[in-house]
Amino acid sequence: MKEISLTIDGKKVTGHEGDTVLDVCRKNGIDVPTLCEMKGLTNVGACRMCVVDIEGERRINPSCTYPARDGLVVHTKTEKVEKYRRLILELMFTEKNHYCMYCEKSGDCELQAMAYRYQMDNVRYPYTTPTTAVDSLSEYLAIDHGRCILCGRCVRVCGEIEANHTLDFAKRGWKTVVAADLAQSLGGSSCTQCGACLQACPTGAIFSKLSLYKTKLKECQRVKTTCPICGVGCELTVLIKDNNIVMIEAPQLTGEKGPLCRMGRFGLLADGHKRITSPMIRDKEGKLKECTLDEALEAAGSRMKKLGKNFTGVVSSRLPSETLSVFCQFMKQAVGSNRIDTMGGEAFRVITEGTKAFSKKSEGPEIECAIDEILKADCILLVGADPVKTHPIVASFIRRAVDRNQAQLVVIDLQNDVMPLWRDVWLKPRASSEATLLNGLINVILSKGLVKGKEAPAKLIQSLSEYNPKRVQSDTDVDAADLEMVAETYGKAKRAVIVYGQGVWHNRNSILVTDLLNLADLSGNRDGDRLRVISLKPAANSRGAWNLGAAAKDLSLNHVQGLYLLISDEQVDNDEVLGWLRTIDFLVVQASYRSAVTSTADVVLPSPIWAERDGGQYVSLDGHVAKSYRVIEPKTGLLQDQEILRELSKKMGHELSSDQEVSCGQT
Amino acid sequence: MAKPKIATAWMAGCAGCHMSFLDIDEKILDVVKLVDITASPITDFKHFEQIDVGIVEGAVNTTKDEEVLRDLRAHCKILMAWGDCACFGGIVTSRNMFDKADCFRRAYIETESTVQGKIPSSDEIPKLLDRVKPANHVVKVDCFVPGCPPSAKAIFYGLVELLNGRIPVLPADMMRFD
Repeated sequence: MKEISLTIDGKKVTGHEGDTVLDVCRKNGIDVPTLCEMKGLTNVGACRMCVVDIEGERRINPSCTYPARDGLVVHTKTEKVEKYRRLILELMFTEKNHYCMYCEKSGDCELQAMAYRYQMDNVRYPYTTPTTAVDSLSEYLAIDHGRCILCGRCVRVCGEIEANHTLDFAKRGWKTVVAADLAQSLGGSSCTQCGACLQACPTGAIFSKLSLYKTKLKECQRVKTTCPICGVGCELTVLIKDNNIVMIEAPQLTGEKGPLCRMGRFGLLADGHKRITSPMIRDKEGKLKECTLDEALEAAGSRMKKLGKNFTGVVSSRLPSETLSVFCQFMKQAVGSNRIDTMGGEAFRVITEGTKAFSKKSEGPEIECAIDEILKADCILLVGADPVKTHPIVASFIRRAVDRNQAQLVVIDLQNDVMPLWRDVWLKPRASSEATLLNGLINVILSKGLVKGKEAPAKLIQSLSEYNPKRVQSDTDVDAADLEMVAETYGKAKRAVIVYGQGVWHNRNSILVTDLLNLADLSGNRDGDRLRVISLKPAANSRGAWNLGAAAKDLSLNHVQGLYLLISDEQVDNDEVLGWLRTIDFLVVQASYRSAVTSTADVVLPSPIWAERDGGQYVSLDGHVAKSYRVIEPKTGLLQDQEILRELSKKMGHELSSDQEVSCGQT
Repeated sequence: MAKPKIATAWMAGCAGCHMSFLDIDEKILDVVKLVDITASPITDFKHFEQIDVGIVEGAVNTTKDEEVLRDLRAHCKILMAWGDCACFGGIVTSRNMFDKADCFRRAYIETESTVQGKIPSSDEIPKLLDRVKPANHVVKVDCFVPGCPPSAKAIFYGLVELLNGRIPVLPADMMRFD
């Protein structure tokens, strides 16, 4: 990039071709006030606070949209521009209804701060006091249009980063308003409730129902940690005051994982559930009663010891690897059982089995690519996955790829038209015919000469030759023309990514995994040892748990006599699972919240929630290692999960060593 | 030299600014040493005498507010506005979002505690203006101390600046709109 030289406020400064005048000012430490500008978003020149005087121009110009060029002479602090900035502020205050005295954002508001900076102690223009709407029908977000300065930061972050394009401007001139979809309420719109607009809003126009009036954000302490929900591994900044969580923000709003999602930004805060603060045991009348930790450990320990190797342990893979490791150690050494699994362990077994059948060299998810491959993709195959529900940041990545790269999006799903506004085509195979469909896709790629990077094995060509589009159509109900079109799109794409999920493993059919890997490999979607395939693993630390071998064994769960279930703050509301839990003779549950699960238990042990947990390690769904940290102090008297396991172990006559990392795999 | 004379007036506001004035605590003794307070909301003079500094709290909401403000302006050399209502219109201007008749109906008839309510119509009572305005949209105001209410510190700063012969403009770190 060519270097250019400008004179700003009498000082010779340099920038690069393509910079705006504001960029050059920022790079050279020259302070220019802004409201609508936000790093990482397109500049639009909406607020006019950044006006500067440029010699040779007839009038003042916004520096954020004025291209810098060699030889420009710019003045950023003249009486004239300062006069106009203050005038612009006064107009903003008269245009809508800004009442700082009862506004939630007062003290954190950028508009207010700007007015203070310009010592705006009166307004010379008549107030318009328009009647404006307040939209509070969304679950977590509310918009007070009276506080909106139409800077458009929410509109841009919604379109450019979350890439959902829910928010935009409606109407014109004085009546301009930020609208969701076709002027619906946010609650009834396509809004994903990622909350990026909330973090982007400079005023109190968009606010969080969960954080409203809790405290001023600038008075909060900020702690960074890793999101414990889905496995994308987003970094969170948790704002705390007096050991209470006030809000969760993205450390980099306009970065890759910037928007966060409704689960990470809001779901973690919305604990309407009742906490478990004391251990409980079932008394003779069959009622759960609070008891001392000692009594609970005694009751659990004696039964577990008796059942020994027949006792089963299931652990939530939302817990950090350190806790998972202690759990495995406890099960193997103190209980003497190898029957260990994680919630969602079948995903691991299907993926591993499918990968082994594909290649003897790699054994599991190491063959998959990083999730940011999606951002570079020009074609995405979404198979049996609904990232909008389970991994919202992955959905945002997909939308960004569609927006920025014009990526083709193909959905293959038995039931749901996932991302209907974004996909190009939905292939809906009849139940249990997915393998036929995938074979059909591979067959078209083979027969149309779309194989790239390697020779297709003759055996494979032979075995798939019968899967011609006509036959596939009759076996799967998928239109033959659609099938050919999808195979061609995928086969011709330069960087195609396959994203698959729960729909692939829930029938425990590992052939589908093998087929998907074959499809990627044959069409040249490979970088060294990694294929452009990603599975959306069920929980934040699924991979960490799998690395420990905690899901290595397919347990027969039909006649479980005793079960130790460490779910911590994960919610289990699957009826099938609840029904199964009721068949268990002796159930120990270690959990943070009262739920249908704990009311089935014979012994209940308390567990800290995500924010109270000691820090630890999480392995994201694409293998990236991240740290979590303790954000707040646990409720009084609450022990860490590992500490309870150690105490219980002691009760059973075994001392768990503190630094030994134990693999749970079969040894 | 005789002590400068000041008078304070209260229009449509909550009296919070005057409370903040009293919150300067014992410093009020210093203020009284330096100035004569000739009228305030607790005196009951019908008109202002000639003074040096007039101070006004509250927005202009009724015909009476307007009369008080114009009278004060006519009798003072420097007029200072206290608080968000006088400076910007403040919370009182939220009435501007509604029709005047709706405001009356809500206040005098529909309130939950009202039985057989009646909208007052005596000529003795000041009339509501069509729109609530800040003081400077009605008369010339020379200086402003915003805040809801302004802090005692800001009020004291304003007075001291005036006594030193300067027109006060609150420094940015003392500015508050809440």
